[in-house]
Amino acid sequence: MTNPVIQVEGLRCSYGDFEAVRGVDFDVAQGELFGLLGTNGAGKTTTMEAVEGLRKATSGTVRVLGSDPLADRRAIRPRIGIMLQDSGFPGDLTVAEMVGFWRSTSSRTSDAASAIEALDLGHRRDVRIKQLSGGERRRLDLLLATLGKPEVLFLDEPTTGLDPESRLHVWEVVRGLLAEGTTVVLTTHYLEEAESLAERIAIMHAGRIAVAGRVSDVLARQPARIGFDVPAGFDVGVLPMLYGDVVHEPSGRVEVRTGELQRDLGELLDWARGDGRVLTGLRANHASLEDVFHAVRTDEKVTSR
Amino acid sequence: MILALSRTELTLLLRNKTAASLALAMPLLLGALLLVNDTSDWTLTITLQLVMMLGFTVYTTVTTSLVARRQDLYLKRLRTGEASDRVVVLGLLVPATALGLAQAVVLLGISRAAGAPLPDRPLLLVLAVVGGAAMCCAAGVVTSGITSTPELAQITTAPFFFALFGGALWTWASDTVDHRMLLVPGGQIAELVKAALGGATDNVVPATASLAAWTAIGAALAVRHFRWEPRT
Repeated sequence: MTNPVIQVEGLRCSYGDFEAVRGVDFDVAQGELFGLLGTNGAGKTTTMEAVEGLRKATSGTVRVLGSDPLADRRAIRPRIGIMLQDSGFPGDLTVAEMVGFWRSTSSRTSDAASAIEALDLGHRRDVRIKQLSGGERRRLDLLLATLGKPEVLFLDEPTTGLDPESRLHVWEVVRGLLAEGTTVVLTTHYLEEAESLAERIAIMHAGRIAVAGRVSDVLARQPARIGFDVPAGFDVGVLPMLYGDVVHEPSGRVEVRTGELQRDLGELLDWARGDGRVLTGLRANHASLEDVFHAVRTDEKVTSR
Repeated sequence: MILALSRTELTLLLRNKTAASLALAMPLLLGALLLVNDTSDWTLTITLQLVMMLGFTVYTTVTTSLVARRQDLYLKRLRTGEASDRVVVLGLLVPATALGLAQAVVLLGISRAAGAPLPDRPLLLVLAVVGGAAMCCAAGVVTSGITSTPELAQITTAPFFFALFGGALWTWASDTVDHRMLLVPGGQIAELVKAALGGATDNVVPATASLAAWTAIGAALAVRHFRWEPRT
């Protein structure tokens, strides 16, 4: 990778006896969005905190914009924005006061009024933060992290607890920053969020990266699915020879999990046409991140290439 | 940056009615009440006024507000910004300290108006006020580290708070002041006030040393045990 903005090598972090991160490596290139996914307790937030310079690694190296985020905190902080998974506000400040305060502690230049408008908080600017809804607080969170357009942005579960409309709004803001060249590291529980925003992802499990790569490559490694309703008097034996595995589900569906989607789908359609059958509820799709996630979670061996 | 932090912290302090009344009204009210009683012993009156200011406005306010900011996860947010850890903590200490110093001026002014003599050694009075404030800031930060909720601060602040008053009264009431009294926080404050108002100056050096030691040890403990996040 040419010119990585973030380099993580052999990162390990422990809390007392418990090792939360057990050897994590990844690079993030200038201007890309890197998605860090994983089950609860997989070590995503700990990894993020180490990269943000909020936590000391037990071993391994972290470089952000060429420097150590912990040792060179003073040099790096003006260039990055951090949105933690759970950080709070003093409830007695108003939205405008909080933004004004944060601006005055930042060396980046920014326009408070337009930042407040961009996150759709204009009508709430003089409201005390304790009166905001959860979604509004999260948008204020994002506003502060992105104030003055940082070069690198860390988003730890930015849309958790947001309604679908607010989530789309957040995605829009993130896409806008990406278009202007900001590098983003994002953790999320929502697979569609990673599918929609990330170029590359890593899925963490039990402190390690279980799968990593371009979203399309990660998906391609998982078998695709073909499904249809069980025809009357069906017997698996009547199906043509397929490359994939056929599962006759008790719910009355036939599911085929196959690495050869086009070939098997063709075989099935030829067979159905030859027999004059109608396959109701026919569906064929590539693996979703959900499938990959599930595979990781159930500890299936997923090799990363 | 430190100014921005302090200004915001002052706003928060004044908007919280409990904290504001504890930090502002209480010491002024009690300090003024002292004057209604017998004011023949100005050393006692001024000592109590200063100790009240240090205990309520500086020590208790610092402890309670740090715990409240931590519980709100606001401290955690401040750590994600550009300010260094040290600047963040100092910025949050400024308002309580400034309020305390302003109150000292007001209380001493009231006493003066009520007939208190001018101090013979005003610099020692300044030392008692400023050194006491520094010691109480350090103690407040340490106490915040062992206090999980703002409500619990009422309990966790009690030992140091009473040491301040007890030490001050012990020293004031003793004709011969020895090192035991000077080692108690409040004891050195009272001794410095005595000396400022014309008392003997033999103990000024050990009293100042004790004040500096409490501040230094407190600061060292504060740095080591400061907690940015609530215990989970």
